[in-house]
Amino acid sequence: MMLKRTFSFLAAATLALPLFSFSAPATAQELRVITHSSFSLPKPVLAQFEAQAGVKLSIIKAGDAGEMLNKLILTKAQPIADVVFGLDNALITRAQASGVIDPYSGAAQQRAVAGATLATGVVSVDYGFVTLNYDRAAFAKSGLALPKTLEELTLPRYRDLLVVQNPATSSPGQAFLLATVAGMGETDAFDWWARMRTNGVKVVKGWTEAYYTEFSRNGGSRPLVVSYATSPAAEVFYSKEKIMESPTGNLFLKGGVFRQVEGVALVKGGGQREAAAKFIEFMRSPATQEALQTTMWMFPAEPGVTRPEVMRHASEPASFDNPSPEAIAEKGADWVSRWTRVVLK
Amino acid sequence: MNVAGSNPFARGVAVVLLPAVFLTVMLLAPVIRLLAEGGVGALQGTVVSLWQDDYLRWRVVWSFVQAALTCMAALALGLPVAWVLARLDFPGRTLVLRLLMLPFVVPTLVAALGVLALWGPRGLITGWLGFQLQDTPWLLLYGNLFFNLCVVVRAGVDALGQVSASRVAVARTLGATPWRAFWRVEWPAIAPWLASALCLVFLYCFAGFGLALILGGQRFATVEVEIYSLVAHELKLAEAGALAVCMMVLTGGVALAYAWIEKRLATPARADAIALRPAAGVFLWTLIALALTVLLVFCAAPLLAVLLRVVLAGSEAWAVLIDEETVHALWNTLRFSASALVMATALGLTHALAARRSVWLRASAFLPFVVSPVTVAFGLLLLYPQWTASMALLIAAYALLAYPFVAKSLGAALDSLPVHLDQVARTLGATPWRAFWRVTLLMVMPALRRGMAFAAATALGEFAVSLFLSRPEWVTLTTLIYQRLGRPGAANLDAALVLACLLMVLALAAFLVIESPLPKAGRRSATHLRHA
Repeated sequence: MMLKRTFSFLAAATLALPLFSFSAPATAQELRVITHSSFSLPKPVLAQFEAQAGVKLSIIKAGDAGEMLNKLILTKAQPIADVVFGLDNALITRAQASGVIDPYSGAAQQRAVAGATLATGVVSVDYGFVTLNYDRAAFAKSGLALPKTLEELTLPRYRDLLVVQNPATSSPGQAFLLATVAGMGETDAFDWWARMRTNGVKVVKGWTEAYYTEFSRNGGSRPLVVSYATSPAAEVFYSKEKIMESPTGNLFLKGGVFRQVEGVALVKGGGQREAAAKFIEFMRSPATQEALQTTMWMFPAEPGVTRPEVMRHASEPASFDNPSPEAIAEKGADWVSRWTRVVLK
Repeated sequence: MNVAGSNPFARGVAVVLLPAVFLTVMLLAPVIRLLAEGGVGALQGTVVSLWQDDYLRWRVVWSFVQAALTCMAALALGLPVAWVLARLDFPGRTLVLRLLMLPFVVPTLVAALGVLALWGPRGLITGWLGFQLQDTPWLLLYGNLFFNLCVVVRAGVDALGQVSASRVAVARTLGATPWRAFWRVEWPAIAPWLASALCLVFLYCFAGFGLALILGGQRFATVEVEIYSLVAHELKLAEAGALAVCMMVLTGGVALAYAWIEKRLATPARADAIALRPAAGVFLWTLIALALTVLLVFCAAPLLAVLLRVVLAGSEAWAVLIDEETVHALWNTLRFSASALVMATALGLTHALAARRSVWLRASAFLPFVVSPVTVAFGLLLLYPQWTASMALLIAAYALLAYPFVAKSLGAALDSLPVHLDQVARTLGATPWRAFWRVTLLMVMPALRRGMAFAAATALGEFAVSLFLSRPEWVTLTTLIYQRLGRPGAANLDAALVLACLLMVLALAAFLVIESPLPKAGRRSATHLRHA
């Protein structure tokens, strides 16, 4: 009886397998877009593109941006996508050097951008800032003054207050490390990290772990976290009640702000060039540029695009510290292993 | 009768073919491809230099120590609990057995949030105790037990369930104390089952999936994290390959040792299970209360903390349940898990049958846990770029990580199967296939169902599947939870926790269906027929 029931269940499931349609039929007009896992645009916006361009979008999420680039490099001989979104200024030089992208010179490439241009042939889509966020309530409660420099964070009174992401496993973690190196110089930066280690900096794997398990706003104990300049706005957008002020704030410190610029590019060896070009233009269209602000929480690269009301909680820093793209490509990996030696080993 | 049916050797080959081909295509070939990409020549030198690196050596040692400690703690806590659940009858016993597996399904981050809600700096228990456990190895051990205690308890319950009642009775009649009867009769019968469960626990902790990492921070990171960043971010394939091979040799050794022990200890049991004792009297009820307390503290408490938060979040948060996206994710979760379960059952069954006589084949059932998942994921990408982002590959990846549970559970059951039943069936003229279908399979059915329940749990919980390429339209409940937790904001956190509860309800329903008890009516009619 028992046997029969289990097997009739299995048999039914096996028979049902074809219904699940394991491989979507490959239509001639399919544009393969590879992107990082944070890619998000409203369905109607994407559907409108499909209707206008007459193609079906096949979006492939390939982990975070660094992982995505490595997957592109490994599959260079047989490209798995036609167009790539999400390569940023920390990765673009390496992407070009490893020959995985083709230059694009359409209209979007010619137009002026807010933020910054990426390398030639890559179209900037959005930009943002990796920076420190602080928990307003926690600082109000402890009465501690906000630190005015990164140096102050090494003082005993700021002990055990900061959580960062491991730059070896997380993009914001890596961006923050790059900012410290550019802001303080290599030697001083690693000296600072060593003193931060003594002063109890906590290192976790990724942004989610930092924000949801360590940050004092969400059940952790640390009121300072490496996050994005748009995070306070997202806190307001996703708050449960209507609030006037964000529960978190940006703390822009010298050497603690990295500007990230994300772009869209053609994958070398990919097909569907006409559709790919349309997609690149689409990423800079007003509808996309407006939508991405509250789905991917980045600032639009197209100047003069409407900013949603909630974005007023996302302040932009006056200055930031980025190493040159060449320096990142050349020394980025070394800095990460040196960081591992200094902070973890 | 066909050829495969008449020739035992051909039959063996036919059975071994499915798991062998699957493992080769999905696991061995990709890993070898990745190693080749990194350059095999560089391998040896890298291995030596890695071992001279203090930091990496410490990670390997630490990975070993925490896994071994977890095994010991899981055995010490799990065996008594298993004994209570296997020997004493009390209301709700079956439900406890099903609930036991929920920790397996919960996304690690949600589990971490639950654990921290109790033991973290602002946790409930921390408030009473006055000190917190975050950043200490204790919390890490707790996290390991949360996920793994259920594996040991379930194995223990099933093992104790197949101990021969008459042998224990004989020992007692001959004057053995209950304690001595346990050591001399019951323990040898259950040891192989426990060994296989502990091996699994060890491999899980060693590979360092999830929770321990979140709770312990990067200081307690295991080697797998190192391999991940070498492959995924630095593309240093030679070093990653060397590290992965070292780990494979170490963990493969553990798997082999286990297979050897299990095969050596294997003894056919007799099919006379010890009847459940109704709980009566203060002593027995105290035992039950203690066992349930252990489960409550180590397994249920973090989940209850999540549930409490969801209840307090209010109806606005629950609105996420009727989102179009949630419904879509629910459907995906169901169809992916069902497909993976079918595949995992077929693979597990054939693997267990093929591995009855071979230590190597037995150990190879653990390969999916021995090999570093990130090397498999990138190897697959290198080897079959045309398959990438195909659903078949995704389902196969789920099945790969789920099927060792079926194979392992069946392996132990097949060992303790009385041989003579099969022989009687054959003597009475049954074909090998019929004897298998009507006798062997029927006897191992409870073990098969247990394995399937664990496989379903793995598929629903989606360990390591995030390493593979994905598509937005394939969003599952687990990916939806992680998407929510990828953005700031209280509403996102609440929505993620509500979705986690939905996942738990779904999993519980799946466990209840897979392991549903015999319907009483059916049993009665069968008896009736026999008497007629």
